[in-house]
Amino acid sequence: MASQLSFTGFAWKNLWRRRLRTLLTLVGITMGIGAFVALVGFSRAFEHEWMRMYTSSGIDIAVVQSNLLSSSIDESLATKISAVPDVAQVAPMIFNLMDLTPEVNALVYGWRANSYELDSLTLLSGHRFHDGTQEILLGDLLASNLGKKVGDMLSIQGTNFTVAGVFHGGSALEAGSVIMPLDQMQIVAGMEGKVTAFHVKLRAAPAGESYDDYVKQASAAIEAVLPGTRAFPAAERAANNQIVALAHSVAWGTSAIALLIGILGIANTMAMSVFERTREIGILRALGWKGRHVILLILAEAAALGFVGGLVGVGVGWGTLRLLSTLPQTASVVSASVSPSYLLESLLIAIAAGLLAGAYPAWRGARLSPMEALRYE
Amino acid sequence: MSSPLNGGSPISTSGPILEARGLVKSYDEGRVEALRGVDLKIDAGEYAAISGPSGSGKSTLLHLLGGLDTATQGQVFFNGSVLGKAVDLDTYRSRQVGFIFQAFYLLPTLRAAENVQVAMLALHEKANHRAERAAALLEEMGLGTRMNHFPNQLSAGERQRVAIARALANDPTLLLADEPTGNLDSVNSAHIMDLLCGIREQRGMTMIVVTHENDIANAAPRHIRIRDGKIES
Repeated sequence: MASQLSFTGFAWKNLWRRRLRTLLTLVGITMGIGAFVALVGFSRAFEHEWMRMYTSSGIDIAVVQSNLLSSSIDESLATKISAVPDVAQVAPMIFNLMDLTPEVNALVYGWRANSYELDSLTLLSGHRFHDGTQEILLGDLLASNLGKKVGDMLSIQGTNFTVAGVFHGGSALEAGSVIMPLDQMQIVAGMEGKVTAFHVKLRAAPAGESYDDYVKQASAAIEAVLPGTRAFPAAERAANNQIVALAHSVAWGTSAIALLIGILGIANTMAMSVFERTREIGILRALGWKGRHVILLILAEAAALGFVGGLVGVGVGWGTLRLLSTLPQTASVVSASVSPSYLLESLLIAIAAGLLAGAYPAWRGARLSPMEALRYE
Repeated sequence: MSSPLNGGSPISTSGPILEARGLVKSYDEGRVEALRGVDLKIDAGEYAAISGPSGSGKSTLLHLLGGLDTATQGQVFFNGSVLGKAVDLDTYRSRQVGFIFQAFYLLPTLRAAENVQVAMLALHEKANHRAERAAALLEEMGLGTRMNHFPNQLSAGERQRVAIARALANDPTLLLADEPTGNLDSVNSAHIMDLLCGIREQRGMTMIVVTHENDIANAAPRHIRIRDGKIES
């Protein structure tokens, strides 16, 4: 029985005849997509965890200094925010990323002992800290990574703190964080009398008013009484805070470079392939293949490279994310969960990259006249 | 039954299927003229051989008649319609023409059956139909046991028979062969010409063979001699 030849089978045979080059090209696009999945997935997971933290703490609005990368606001302004009618509670806070050991860094929060945000945490052991004391609470993940328990000492920026309690929070960010009294954090961070943000909890929205409208209205009211500050709805703040924005920028920038290298690899492979197969393209044209058939064949080959490279890349990227979620250095800022739609999106980007890379070689191949191609030596 | 070289008798004379009017083909910005005003009529079902010395323009003429190339001046008519204008060249080649080349031009990565099927990929036929047709054509060429072999596993004569099967894949009305025996020994040459003539007679196709071999040219019912880009007789 004669073997069947399909269009895609023909494309695959063309790729397989130059196995080494095809494999090297696949490695390139795999690395590009792997980097994209891992880095962008990391930054998205980071944003997601940030959002979960706001949600679980009951924060409606975050008030920060406008137009500055590093926010610093007078703590005394809390009273002005409290005076806004819709505001139920105001929690002044400082947060920063600090090295705890040479290997482990973590988000460190300064909260008042009476902050409503503490209510959202489940204390697994020990007790809450008191204002004015050198006591800290450790997230359970961080405590485990550091091997610390209640009563142990931990040095932060040269100051020794006693672990007062270990808690479990609503997000990986909290699970991997340190919380200390706001006054102590102000000393450690050199921000006496200052805070980085106010986390505002609103009263229940009036009946008939949408939550989003209510939060926007309250944000506007807060900005009106505190010129020079920005009041962000919590969801918006999760996506736009400086650390998340920086993570997004680095992730997109790095993966864009990796993807570009992958695309150039496919483009080079396809251009070489068209060049080497000039006479074969002439034969196909002599057999009645139209220019668009040649374009389809070359694009199918390029898309196949993108698809296979993308599939492996998605696996590599997902594996990298899972690995990062278990490492002490990164476990506090990323969870292992990645949405299937994101993985599908990455795969589609890989295929699109293949098509983009194959477009010019395909166009060149289609432009060859049959005789010109047949005469080619 | 026709002999290997006599090509049999003309099948139909119902009017020209192909007509060339004033064909000029020049290269190198006009410095080289391969064809210098060729007028030619080929009737449906006719078998014509075109011969001439090397560089006389015989292959160029065949390429223009087959829509592989376009003339610098003049026109080619297929059933009264101008090629490249009223008739799209790609469609013409895919639907009406079967080409056979001296160098076979088989794709090295495809098996014999796949080489035949590749000509049908542009015709949007079902995969199983393509495979069945390729198998039937290769059987007809006496290659029933060789259809899953790659070109480098076949002899020169077998390769040319695969190329003939490929040329027949689209069930063409015109079979155009450019030096089909140029790379074959005398036994295989006779075999291939016998095969081509049998196919033409059986299917009622129009066949034009370009050759430099006088035996083949003289055996054709019509012998067109070309020299210096002009038809002599």
